[in-house]
Amino acid sequence: MAPLLEVNDLRTQIKLREGVVHAVDGVSFQLEPGETLGIVGESGCGKTMTALSIMNLLPTGGHIAGGSIKLNGQELTTLSDEQMRNIRGNEIGMIFQDPLTSLNPTMTVGKQIAEAVALHREVSREQAMDRAAEVLDLVGIPRVRERIKEYPHQFSGGMRQRVMIAMALACEPKLLIADEPTTALDVTIQKQILELIDDLRIRLGMSVILVTHDLGVIAGRADRVAVMYAGRISETTDTDTLFNRPRHPYTEALFQALPDKAADAGERLYSIPGLPPDLVNPPAGCRFAARCRYAVDRCRAEEPQLVSEVAGHEFRCFYPVGPSERTDTGRLATYNAAPAEAALAGPGIGDVLLDVSHLVKDYAVTKGAVLQRRVGWLSAVADVNFTIRSGETFGLVGESGCGKSTIGKLVVGLEKPTSGSISFEGKDLAKSSAREYRRERRNIQLMFQDSYASLDPRMRAGTLLREPLVIQRLGSKQEQLKKVAEMLDKVGLPRTAADRYPHEFSGGQRQRLGFARALMLQPELIVADEPVSALDVSIQAQVLNMMKELQHDLGLTYLFISHDLGVVRYLSDKIGVMYLGKLVEVGPAEEVYLRPAHPYTKGLLDSAPVADPGAEKAKVSEGVTGELPSAIHPPSGCRFRTRCPFAQAICADVEPPVQRFAGEGHLAACHFPLQTALGDAVTASAALPE
Amino acid sequence: MAMMPHADPAGAGTLIPEAAQDLATPGQSEAKSRSMFRRGWEVFAENKLALAGLGFVIFILLFCFVGPHIYVTPQVTVQTQNYMCHPSSAHLLGCDDLGYDVVGRLMVGGQNSLKVGLAAAFVACLFGSIYGAVSGFIGGIIDSFMMRIVDAVLSIPFIMVVIILAVLIHPSAGTLILVIAATYWPGPARLVRGETLSLRTREYVSAVKVAGGRNSRAVLRHVMPNAIGTIIVQATFAVADSILILAGLGFLGFGVPPPATDWGSMLSNGLQYVNLNTWWLIYPAGILIIATVVSFNFIGDALRDAFETRLQRR
Amino acid sequence: MTGYLIRRLLQTIVVTVIVTIITFLLLHLVPGGEVRAILGVRASPVEVRTYSKEWGFDQPLYVQYGKWLWQMLHGNFGFDLKQNAPVSTLIWAALPRTIVLAFIGTGVGLLIGIPLGILQAVRRHSVADNVLTGIAFVGYGSPTFLVGLLLVQWFAVNLHIFPPFAPQATSIGGILSDPVALILPVATYAFVAYALWSRYMRSSVMDNIVQDYVRTARSKGASERRVLWGHIFRNSLISIVTLLGLQLPVIIGGAIFIEVVFNYPGMGLLFYDAALNTDIQLMLAITVLTTLITILGNLLADIGYAMLDPRVRYA
Repeated sequence: MAPLLEVNDLRTQIKLREGVVHAVDGVSFQLEPGETLGIVGESGCGKTMTALSIMNLLPTGGHIAGGSIKLNGQELTTLSDEQMRNIRGNEIGMIFQDPLTSLNPTMTVGKQIAEAVALHREVSREQAMDRAAEVLDLVGIPRVRERIKEYPHQFSGGMRQRVMIAMALACEPKLLIADEPTTALDVTIQKQILELIDDLRIRLGMSVILVTHDLGVIAGRADRVAVMYAGRISETTDTDTLFNRPRHPYTEALFQALPDKAADAGERLYSIPGLPPDLVNPPAGCRFAARCRYAVDRCRAEEPQLVSEVAGHEFRCFYPVGPSERTDTGRLATYNAAPAEAALAGPGIGDVLLDVSHLVKDYAVTKGAVLQRRVGWLSAVADVNFTIRSGETFGLVGESGCGKSTIGKLVVGLEKPTSGSISFEGKDLAKSSAREYRRERRNIQLMFQDSYASLDPRMRAGTLLREPLVIQRLGSKQEQLKKVAEMLDKVGLPRTAADRYPHEFSGGQRQRLGFARALMLQPELIVADEPVSALDVSIQAQVLNMMKELQHDLGLTYLFISHDLGVVRYLSDKIGVMYLGKLVEVGPAEEVYLRPAHPYTKGLLDSAPVADPGAEKAKVSEGVTGELPSAIHPPSGCRFRTRCPFAQAICADVEPPVQRFAGEGHLAACHFPLQTALGDAVTASAALPE
Repeated sequence: MAMMPHADPAGAGTLIPEAAQDLATPGQSEAKSRSMFRRGWEVFAENKLALAGLGFVIFILLFCFVGPHIYVTPQVTVQTQNYMCHPSSAHLLGCDDLGYDVVGRLMVGGQNSLKVGLAAAFVACLFGSIYGAVSGFIGGIIDSFMMRIVDAVLSIPFIMVVIILAVLIHPSAGTLILVIAATYWPGPARLVRGETLSLRTREYVSAVKVAGGRNSRAVLRHVMPNAIGTIIVQATFAVADSILILAGLGFLGFGVPPPATDWGSMLSNGLQYVNLNTWWLIYPAGILIIATVVSFNFIGDALRDAFETRLQRR
Repeated sequence: MTGYLIRRLLQTIVVTVIVTIITFLLLHLVPGGEVRAILGVRASPVEVRTYSKEWGFDQPLYVQYGKWLWQMLHGNFGFDLKQNAPVSTLIWAALPRTIVLAFIGTGVGLLIGIPLGILQAVRRHSVADNVLTGIAFVGYGSPTFLVGLLLVQWFAVNLHIFPPFAPQATSIGGILSDPVALILPVATYAFVAYALWSRYMRSSVMDNIVQDYVRTARSKGASERRVLWGHIFRNSLISIVTLLGLQLPVIIGGAIFIEVVFNYPGMGLLFYDAALNTDIQLMLAITVLTTLITILGNLLADIGYAMLDPRVRYA
């Protein structure tokens, strides 16, 4: 069978002030009809530019400098603008990362889809709208006749992405390019969207190019994978082979950097040192050489070509890793062994440090400019109980809007609870005097998600790190400066970093800086709110390793907030799962992951993509269906009942009691738990053995 | 309560220009840290129009304030013998109806135009910024009320108020400054309030609170330094606007009273003789007003870019 | 949208009240008080005292304010001693003329400025863009009266193409029946408006052109023309509408200069004459009225904005 798409030696350049960026530098691949190709890589590797090159939708300054792109044998790079317009939306459809900004805010979704139809088909306005309704129905939008007249802002994130898919598929293209289609969505919605794309691919008999940074997304969906690094494909083969027998050191390193793979053994993550190369002046030899643990002189001098030992498995490396001919993987083991042991022995779990009891946070929803009358309450956190022991890492997971970040803000004192108490070392924080409170702040520090937003852009790193000491009047200036220098050492930044401004650091370095600032006051508890979710896998591993090491060295306790189940599992001793303001399940990490009691926990675990094709294909569960209800009018009884496969009448009437399950401190609130309860627990904190 | 959807690790992939910039600037670990001022200047200096504007403003300041010491002309007593004389080697741009040398007149008139323009802009921006910052920081009902006052003042055609005030209060350079400032402040106030509102919710302000810092520290050390750029840009535009307003007042006869003058008053005077084709009474003053105003606008535009940290990153 | 409109309406009422207070207080800034404002600076103390008693100017400020407001609500702005006519009569005669001129002038400026602004944004950094940017900067930096006077000098005095004065007819029909005389004042208005709006439109289109939804439209196979007019244009206009509302005071304020230059008998000229006569009462009445018009215009602009932007309409 002839390939649908053939990309040959594609070279895309972007002209910038600094020079010409070789964003895509000699990329070749083929795509068979009906096949899904995953293009995976970290930010800046050129995967999105490759996708945009196929559509010839490059940004200003970008152009295709060489190579060929053939669709069904037709060369696309030499087409006129008009001919290319005939291809776009007609033979190739594309969906983008952020469905809100990608839709025209002032046009109804029906018109936007009908436009795509009208552009490529000789149809009347009515027929185009009929087709729009048809495809909206196809992508699973309920009540199509009403919703077709609505505007994008009236749809939820997941529904918007469905609209985008409907638009891309309105003319039944043979190829769908999905550029990070689920990155802006929650895991449960992500699963729904990925299933939809898969389902439509089969029903419409099209091919899909799935561009993503997420190895888990690729594992379950792609037939073949191309791994990109620094503008080139470093390795390409079928999905099973890639995940089981990677040959390129970069692919191997990516897998080892994934926390979900390491979680079982609790081993230190492999982190790729350094940063990707400058694509204005790419290095002479192998582009990965500078970060490769196996690199030898030849790698730095000479560029390896794509080679294959087995048909269909190509990689760009002189000294490939993996078991096929070489048996020296022992090298890898010895590399990792030494630092791992020391770092991983935890500091030892002590007494209860933080006790959160019946915590409630409601936000008033107001209307009117002058009178500000209250029209309702938004229930952000509803009667949450948990404790954290010193030296422990408590992971709080849940989808956006579940209240996990609000809990973080309440604990560090950025918000005041509506009711309930937060006790630190036995003292209720709300009851301490203002002066005490300011001093106690030292003991609980916050690590922000967005290190760029949380570091004042007009202050040098040194000043930023010193500020907490200045505020708390700790030590003389000399002592403070000394502490800053020591802290930079601890988080692995050069001392000269003190003179630089935040924007001069890379994302990972900035996150180290943010962590360093949180550590300056020698706190006991660090609340880390999504500290690694803006980082690439390899950089994420660096930060996670650092957090784990310093936890051991400094005896820190973490309240770790994240949407990423893999990361939470890797780092946490105990896990709390939140849904719509409620803590639905809490318990030891392993218990919760392996034997979840609450259907939501189970659904969440099933939704989260795992970087293991076997495991992904074995999944039968649908994950969690439906959409998150409003927190202004949360469902009565059990808040999860509207999306729960086991819900019955009682779930709507009675709020489920908290029950105990096997495993120390394993609690869940469900009428129909997935395992037998050991008995009621009046409240979570009361039931905990203390 | 707005919970962030998880930020995208590879998200830069869709923000294409940024992603491309990231490609071009990995790490920067070698780069020496230049001061913010220095980097801002580099962005500014890239804007050729702004450099030209800056050059012209420096030139015009020297012309008006140093010029009279070099090119000495009588500007107080009427020189009837020079009535409306044409440009010549003795009077480069001729003389006006009172026999004043026009070049010399442009210098002293310019002194007033620039003094009033700069001072009015300064006073308006100072008051407006404080007003806006206070309003934005207090928030709530007081903020609403303070902003309605701003709305009210903004909806009054300010040129009318300026004229009323100029009629009521006898115009002098000093009162004109206050009059212009009294009507111009709401613009900066509204802008600074918006900036304050957005800055106070920034995470780096939260970070100060987490470390136990007081509000005053957050405002003085973090909000103000980050708002100052906006204020300076606004002040630059305010200078241009004030010079224009003063010119308008001069034209209507409410400018700096004689024997002193300003560019607007000079124009107004020259326009009485339009039919005599005395171009030297109109064009030089007109061109100086336009060039000065345009220069300040160029500088303001470039300053706005220079204060944008995003553009400094490279 | 109802919520939004009610909110805006409430704000408008509050702003209107504040405006009346400010103008009322301005009246009291006059040396010797509001009576002198009416009787003139040279009135004798006895005259002032008699007049004060007669018209209630010796009462507390808030009582006076209440009465003043009450009278104004009934369209009664007092009697102008200097022009020997009720203030309202003077204003009602001049107001429509100003509105006609401002409307036509701004309209022409928008009709030129918006398309050129779009052109500049689409072909940014081209020769045409740079030239037009230069013209707009000069237009933006020129005093309105200077533009008007130069046009008079060139086209009326030197070339004798157009008359140097605007139509002097009292009725709207009369003014419009002399379009040739209207050209120069309209051109002055339009040039200043063009400079402003082409700048705004250029940056608004440039903001929109880099948005993701534009890329989506292209990915559907839409032509550049369709992308521009079907997608970018409407989104760019939305921000322009609000700005139009905010610029109203400037537009009406500009009327003073243009009407003085072309001797056009509108509110601006009436205001200028009042200023020369130190007729504070008339000046304040005009100010209050024009302010109310701008507030109303602002409200209309915001309603238009709400209708154009579905995010507000269906909030």
